[in-house]
Amino acid sequence: MKYTMNRRHFMGTAAASTAALAIAGRAHATTPFTMQAAWINDAEFAGYFLALDNGYYTDEELDLTYLSGGPDVIPESTIIAGRADLALTLPDTTIRAISEQGAKFKIIGTQYQKNPLGIVSLKKSGINSPADLIGKTVAVPPVNTVTIEALLKLNGIDLNEVNIVPYSYDPTPLVRGEIDASLDFTTNVPFTISTLGEEANSFLIYDYGVTTFNDTIVVTEETLATKRAELVGWLRASRKGWEENLADPTVYPPQWADTWFKGTGRSIENEVFFNEAQKDLITADTGVFSMSEEAIEKNIEALAAVGISGSREMFDTTLLEEI
Amino acid sequence: MGNSLTSLRLKSVRNLVILIIVWEIVGRMDWIAGGALPGLSEILTRLWIDRGDYPGHIWATVYASGLGFLIGNVLAIAAGIAFVLSPTLLRLMRGVNIAIFALPPIAIAPILVLTLSGMAPRVTLAALGVYFVTMSATVIGLSQYDTRSADLVRAYGGGNWLILKLVRIRGAIPDILSGLRIAAPNAVLGAILAEFGGGGRWGLGTYLLGSLGRGDPARLWGIGLVATLIAGLSYAIFAVISSRISGSTRSVTLNTAIPSSHGENAYGRSIQALILCGTITLPFVLWWAFIKLTGVPDLIAKTPHGVFEYLFLNDTSAIARGKLLAALGQTLPIAALGMIAGLAFAFLLAISSRMFPGFIKGFMPVALVTQTMPLVALTPLLVLILGRGYSVTLWITISVTFFPAFVLLVQGIQRVPQSVLDLPRAYGASAWTEMRMVSIPAALPYLFAATRLTVPRALLGVMIAEWLATGTGLGNLLNRSRGYLDYGMIWTVAAVSVLLSVAIYYLVLIVERRTLVRLGMQNVE
Repeated sequence: MKYTMNRRHFMGTAAASTAALAIAGRAHATTPFTMQAAWINDAEFAGYFLALDNGYYTDEELDLTYLSGGPDVIPESTIIAGRADLALTLPDTTIRAISEQGAKFKIIGTQYQKNPLGIVSLKKSGINSPADLIGKTVAVPPVNTVTIEALLKLNGIDLNEVNIVPYSYDPTPLVRGEIDASLDFTTNVPFTISTLGEEANSFLIYDYGVTTFNDTIVVTEETLATKRAELVGWLRASRKGWEENLADPTVYPPQWADTWFKGTGRSIENEVFFNEAQKDLITADTGVFSMSEEAIEKNIEALAAVGISGSREMFDTTLLEEI
Repeated sequence: MGNSLTSLRLKSVRNLVILIIVWEIVGRMDWIAGGALPGLSEILTRLWIDRGDYPGHIWATVYASGLGFLIGNVLAIAAGIAFVLSPTLLRLMRGVNIAIFALPPIAIAPILVLTLSGMAPRVTLAALGVYFVTMSATVIGLSQYDTRSADLVRAYGGGNWLILKLVRIRGAIPDILSGLRIAAPNAVLGAILAEFGGGGRWGLGTYLLGSLGRGDPARLWGIGLVATLIAGLSYAIFAVISSRISGSTRSVTLNTAIPSSHGENAYGRSIQALILCGTITLPFVLWWAFIKLTGVPDLIAKTPHGVFEYLFLNDTSAIARGKLLAALGQTLPIAALGMIAGLAFAFLLAISSRMFPGFIKGFMPVALVTQTMPLVALTPLLVLILGRGYSVTLWITISVTFFPAFVLLVQGIQRVPQSVLDLPRAYGASAWTEMRMVSIPAALPYLFAATRLTVPRALLGVMIAEWLATGTGLGNLLNRSRGYLDYGMIWTVAAVSVLLSVAIYYLVLIVERRTLVRLGMQNVE
């Protein structure tokens, strides 16, 4: 254990000296800033990649470190542990952590106005609404148990009427008919299903009462108090990246084949599909990351249905106003 | 002799070729679950297409598992030597050793990701995977020495240190090497598991995660094969070294003196009680120290006291206990069943390896693949073949349990001295009679050791199946708890799974002691 600690220390020092060199090369001093993403590199995070590549964070005097996520990474944990300043989270877990465990978080924006999570199935199985799930087998990632509970509850369906099995990120059981539907990003899996020669069908849980955001931008109260300028800078740069990326979603993913998307195991066509599909879910009249009073209210209502008690104080919209 | 060896080799090559041809046909015809098992040529074609992706991932995995292997083994061998020199230390550290051994990687990976950053979770998981195997192999090797050689050194005025140097370490090398051999795939799997969950950019585990969404079995098998190749190569290196060395250190005749179990009763009652106390508290002290050293806040990192509070003192404790007990009720029966099935399979294989060496040599590559193929890659495919009931859980459990038990049992059977085997042979006994009357009884200590080795792995196998296929029990509870940000439960599941393994381990140990003492045999640590 001791040895790995030393190694960590060494890596830290190495990273710090690299950062120091980078700073020395610039006219303005930049502040180190770390963000924790929610998943591995894919189109879900295109806006940040673009802003990094185009130096939008540097323009805001931020030296951004981007941490990708994975199944064991709980983004909220990374900011509690102080390894990142900001995290992209699922509002369900964040709000539950605030209300039940007293975690000191604030939601300062949201990437998705509408949660891309939905029920994906094969067209031929005729699943078009939550009611069609009765008597069917649905694969759900164990971490999203809360979400499926909310969907069924809000649509008056008893949990026992649906057979829920774990989803392991592989659409093969769905295509082979071993399961009838899965809870996944509707912006992503339908592409794979079409490459496997089937026609996919999907609906957003958002359209059936689970009116939540996704990839909410979360910081600790302490970061909010001490790094306000940096946070506003991050929001501004990221919004710029997103708006440019969404102007034509087909442009950027192919350019990242040898950088951000190299060796992720996913195809560029899949990322283009993803990027196009998510456009309407991210775009907001008042700019990317906006949280309208109405939308916040909808989040609180939907979560209340599964016993998660959110409140307006958990959201802080004042930074968005400063962009 | 030379001739029969050549024919043996030919046979194993023949078996391998048959196997590959059968695989190719089955894969090409999509006979298994409509193509869940692609033909070898399809997998290789995919590998070739993906060749640009691999170097970065392979390097990351080799780096993390290699570093973990090195750190884990250096600590393990040093600890093994220290334990043999000081039985008191061994007894004091027994709780820690068994706890490390019993850590189910899938319960520990999330905790490491919570508390450490960068490559550290991968290296740590790899090191944890190798420590116990090598440490116990070192202790076995150092304690089962020929007392006659030691008497010789002593007669010439040599002390314990000289005996250790001249007799025991030399005699222990084959055991240590076989330990390293088993440990090598563990390091690779540990690193891959941490990569899968830990959110890094590179590593075969990360590649696997990204590839799962493609629904392309050829890619998944390709990643599995590459992982197998890395693990297999490291396994092969130690297998070759050990086969070169083992010939010169095996005793030619049987030592009839039974080594005394020294150290056990050397102290008075009060000191013994003190040591026992230390044995039990030490793992908890280390757990506490780990959290304090990493400096991770209380909210996410639970100390032993934190877990106790979570389970017994909080307002929500009753609910938490209820969830935990329900999960245990689902997990334990199937884990027990899986353990028995895995041991039975290992035992049958070990006997067959003595009686049909050619068959086993042909089977070994397959066995090794099952050990190094990351289960997260195969479970979605296994579900297609076996469904989501008990059979998928049992198969996964057998596949994670049988191999270490098999290696240990084969070792036990192989270590029967030639002179003992000469007796039944002289009387014209068949291979089976020889096996039944001599080799199996002589390997009894190894059977017990194998049982102990199997306990936590059975729990691991069941938890993997629960996580990815059945959605029940501890494995599912652990993953749901992540969605609820229920850190108390994440730590509780890890702690309970370790405690359970330790408890069952001791149960086996008690039965083992009684049986072996009655038979006048020494137990294998």
